[in-house]
Amino acid sequence: MITQPAIQGADAELISASWSQPEAFAELFDRYSAMLYRYVSKRLGPEPAEDLVGETFLVAFSRRKSYDLGYPDARPWLFGILTKLMARHHRTEAARYRALRRAPIDLDVESPADRVAAGATARAAGPALAGALAALPAKDRDVLLLIAWGDLTYEEAAQALDIPIGTVRSRLNRGRRKVRAALGDTNPMLRGQE
Amino acid sequence: MDDDLRTLRDFGDSLGHEPPATLVRQRERMLRARPRRRGFGWTMTALVAVVTAAVVAVPTLLISSWETVPPPVGQRPADVRGALNVLLVGTDSQAGSPRFAQGARTDTMIMLHLPADRKKVTAINIPRDSWVRIPRCGSEPARTGMINSAFDRGGLSCAVKTVETLTDVRIDHMIEVDFAGFKQVVDALGGVEVTLAQPVDDPKSKLRLPAGKSLLNGEQALGYMRLRYYGDGSDIQRIKRQQKLIQAMAKKAKRTLGDPAELRAFMAVAAKSVKTDEALDMESMIELVSSLEGASVTFRTVPWQPRPDNPRTIQWKQPEADRLFATLR
Repeated sequence: MITQPAIQGADAELISASWSQPEAFAELFDRYSAMLYRYVSKRLGPEPAEDLVGETFLVAFSRRKSYDLGYPDARPWLFGILTKLMARHHRTEAARYRALRRAPIDLDVESPADRVAAGATARAAGPALAGALAALPAKDRDVLLLIAWGDLTYEEAAQALDIPIGTVRSRLNRGRRKVRAALGDTNPMLRGQE
Repeated sequence: MDDDLRTLRDFGDSLGHEPPATLVRQRERMLRARPRRRGFGWTMTALVAVVTAAVVAVPTLLISSWETVPPPVGQRPADVRGALNVLLVGTDSQAGSPRFAQGARTDTMIMLHLPADRKKVTAINIPRDSWVRIPRCGSEPARTGMINSAFDRGGLSCAVKTVETLTDVRIDHMIEVDFAGFKQVVDALGGVEVTLAQPVDDPKSKLRLPAGKSLLNGEQALGYMRLRYYGDGSDIQRIKRQQKLIQAMAKKAKRTLGDPAELRAFMAVAAKSVKTDEALDMESMIELVSSLEGASVTFRTVPWQPRPDNPRTIQWKQPEADRLFATLR
């Protein structure tokens, strides 16, 4: 009983419960802090990730009463807050990708097998992808990575960034074109594919 | 997912890190930052409101359905003459509420300390997820667990015994109030009347009221209790509104006494939502409620920190917690 979440059901129910029972909000942290941490660590590395996740939840908590309960899933809302907070780090992020373009990815020997496997496929394409990401405008990168690394749908990305879905599509297409171009340079199998 | 996105995702996975154990500190940071008094204040007011309404009605009718609980047995902390310590346990039996999916019922535990002069009341919030040593209660052996499980499994007297063991403060009385009962108490009273200077339109509680006099039903009264963004939006104003609501409830309860049929209906509801110990007679109850209304109440929370091995639960911070309770002994 103790290790199970005290609250089940949609995030919206949880947030609405937290309006009168603030501690209910802690459950939202338990649900999503690890996911947000992984996302930040992909874009900025592990150093600023902990603090950014903490700040995201501080902001979310203070705004919990303006959450639109019509959205059962709180992930887009949290990613939206996080994206705004990460905007301060865009330069660090670009510098990180530029460094990754030059150096091979430092693979952790103790990584779980699936991560090593993923690393192996990504290793070849890594420098090229890092170069493409470094060159992307911040807004296009936000959309591309919310979808590729944050696992959001187009609709959820639109909700997170508070932009029309058409804008999500056009930014995503721009980003993907550059990614494909970069991959095409290293992997002829992908060339010419739409 | 298309190849380019999949390759990009794999690239991301190779860059990502698993969260360290220290991420828990951010959870604590969030919980610390929250204004604790808001929710607590409401809880407190609801408790006081229900107790008040019940107390006003009870003296004329000594009802047998009023449930009482025997005090815990065995050695107990010393009774400090003149001071009065009361353990309030708020429960919520709302069925279907996501918070009670697993049958947990204890919502709030508050220790009220009334010093001999009754001038400054201290209300200490005991976090319900405190990880503590629970003494033997009846057939339940001593164990370590969450403090609310003492109540959920062993009842009110086990909760009292646990709190007494932990704090070494003698608990004179215990009161259990079912929050779902607040609405029912108001409805049983036939509603409660408030006079508003300006209309209310609160999308959050879906409460809409015109300026002037309104008769609130249970649901509306609950919304009104929780109403925050109204008037100047200050906490002080909100507390004043709540006190007025309590007074209106007390007034209504007094008037209801005149009608035996309504009184019976009301008492049936009130008896269901309030449980006390055997020794808490009407005199002490009335004294308790009037001192809560008149005195200045200081709200405290037992100093706590997340447990290192299970951050879902918390442990009392020592020696701070002991120091707090020492002031009550």
